[in-house]
Amino acid sequence: MTFKIPFGPQHPALEEPVNFMFEIEEERVVNVKLRLGYVHRGIEKIAESRNYRQLVYLSERICGICSFAHALCYSQAVEELLGLEIPERAKFIRTILAEMERIQNHYLWLGLTAKEMGFETLFMYAWRDRERIIDMLDMISGKRVHYGMSTIGGVRRDITESMIGKIEESLNHLEARAEYYTKICTEDPSILKRTVGVGILRPRDARALCAVGPTARASGIARDVRTDEPYAAYGEIPFRVVTYRGCDVASRMYVRIDEIKESIKIIRYALKNMPEGSIRVKAPTRVPEGEAISRVEAPRGENIHFIKSNGSDRPERWKIRAPTLANLLSLCKMLSGVNLADIPVVIAGIDPCISCAERIALVDAETGKLNVWDGKDLWRYANEWYRKRYGL
Amino acid sequence: MVSEEIWALIQIFLFPGFLFLFFLAFFTEWLDRKIVAKFQNRYGPLYVGPKGILQPLADFIKLLSKEDITPSTVDKVPFKIIPALLLTLAVTPLFCIPIVGSSALISFEGDLIVIMFIMSLTALLVFMGGWASTNRFSTIGSIRAGLQMFAYEIPMNLAMIGPAISAGSLSISKIVEWQTRRFWSLFPQPLGFAVLTICLMAHLQRVPFDIPEAESEIVSGWIVEFSGKKLALIRLAKDFEFVLAASLIVSLFLGGPYGSWYISPITFLAKYLLCVFIISNLRAAFARYRIDHLLAGAWKYLTPLALLQICLIKIWGI
Repeated sequence: MTFKIPFGPQHPALEEPVNFMFEIEEERVVNVKLRLGYVHRGIEKIAESRNYRQLVYLSERICGICSFAHALCYSQAVEELLGLEIPERAKFIRTILAEMERIQNHYLWLGLTAKEMGFETLFMYAWRDRERIIDMLDMISGKRVHYGMSTIGGVRRDITESMIGKIEESLNHLEARAEYYTKICTEDPSILKRTVGVGILRPRDARALCAVGPTARASGIARDVRTDEPYAAYGEIPFRVVTYRGCDVASRMYVRIDEIKESIKIIRYALKNMPEGSIRVKAPTRVPEGEAISRVEAPRGENIHFIKSNGSDRPERWKIRAPTLANLLSLCKMLSGVNLADIPVVIAGIDPCISCAERIALVDAETGKLNVWDGKDLWRYANEWYRKRYGL
Repeated sequence: MVSEEIWALIQIFLFPGFLFLFFLAFFTEWLDRKIVAKFQNRYGPLYVGPKGILQPLADFIKLLSKEDITPSTVDKVPFKIIPALLLTLAVTPLFCIPIVGSSALISFEGDLIVIMFIMSLTALLVFMGGWASTNRFSTIGSIRAGLQMFAYEIPMNLAMIGPAISAGSLSISKIVEWQTRRFWSLFPQPLGFAVLTICLMAHLQRVPFDIPEAESEIVSGWIVEFSGKKLALIRLAKDFEFVLAASLIVSLFLGGPYGSWYISPITFLAKYLLCVFIISNLRAAFARYRIDHLLAGAWKYLTPLALLQICLIKIWGI
């Protein structure tokens, strides 16, 4: 007997507004249907009515957790269009911020995954440790979530000498904790039982479905923008791209915990070797005509921003590809065949962030013509749909 | 004669009867929440009463006052009576547990069997409650509850029979009495103690065996459709089951209310708190198992261990 089970858009295990329709046979998933489109915000459309400087702040709002990665990616694209060379110190500060954000994201992920496994204690522990790094981000930028640090032409605040000591202290604490979590996650039998061999994504599938970030690296593919196409100060900092060959949720966990350790090393190196100088250069408001693509390794994977400029002070088109969108196809692959009880763990395994991934494009199936809707169209469609449905 | 009847009424309604048990149930829930919170680096309940001790009572009253929704597709009669039945079945066995003195309020030869029977009935009621809800999540939850029963039932009963064999009686009061004369069953039967504790965790549906109501997987499993008064009763029933589980361990393995110089109810409570501490501690230390892990584990390890324990009792003759 097949059984249809909806997961989301409202579900206690899945805070993300996405709908999975699972067909279940004796607690085993035989088919998955994915439905997006519950939180489309029309950010790309809004962008066309704002100027470049305002958009830095809008870009941060794409995602709450990897806000700096989006702001950085956007700033880099605009700087490329302007042909702007930013100061070395700004590059290092950007690197430090990006890595701090990675640490806080990975701790968040560890906690959430633990919660999906029903391991509340680990959830509480991981989130308590995450507070340490958030405090550091707060100290540097003045904010806990949307840092407002990256700007076109550099960064907005400097890291002073007095901050460095405090950062070092927290890094030592976080490193010790990361070691502790490695120990727990490799030894605790109940965690191993829930993660090893669960949600398999073979390297061939990962490559074919364009998996990015820790999801790809846990399948043994060393895909990382930081080394493939170094940006900010990554070209000057030695670090290891963490890969595991387990292809399962356990590997995704180990990849992320090891990445925390690597990030800590990167931050230490960057703090030690940070050059003196200014932190930003002045950027003109008008951007010359042209197109630019910028790639950033966000905590969840590769983040792509494309900007097309028509010479005015606002972009003609701004296209964002958030990492979750790239990983959704792999997710469907991982989900087929898993046990019902493992669904939350597997979904959490790619670290989904649906709001970043939402977009709407209507494709005419016969002619293949693409038609992108804006906010007004969506408004009209929603009103019509409800009117028809409820006879208003 | 009259005073004897009054004494009996006091025993049934005040101490160690209903009133005491109600307070014990709420206190246990509070203690459990506090202990787990401590382990998880949280505060736990704080606001109602000193250190939040009245929080479970406040939750109960709040739930009683909430709207009671009966969805249109549920199987109405079982849906209505199951919460009340669950509560009744959780309270009844507690009268067979000796709390003051060696003899319980209700004591007869074979009350251990009755308790086992009632505990199976509770599991069956859980299954039926989920099934009657006709919700997809609760159906899965109830199937899991049924499967879980197959896993823990047999080792649990085998472990409970162990002390009965050595005491030569199926009455809990007599088992307690035997332990006061000889020694706690814990010492010759550590395996039985461990198996019983693990199985009771599964019976109580607590982490790591909260499989039938796994919040992150199937919302809250078999309970998902119950609300208002029904949910309040179910939660109270769960508290009583916790009380029953801890006091069963105390009676069968830790010598019941005897074993120290203090008067018997205080000794009982001290041992009881120890058991609550152990069970709460276990709750904080694991991730949730999958239903197939539980079934495999129960049949591969728990049942053979419980059988081994019984063989050892027979071989050593204690």
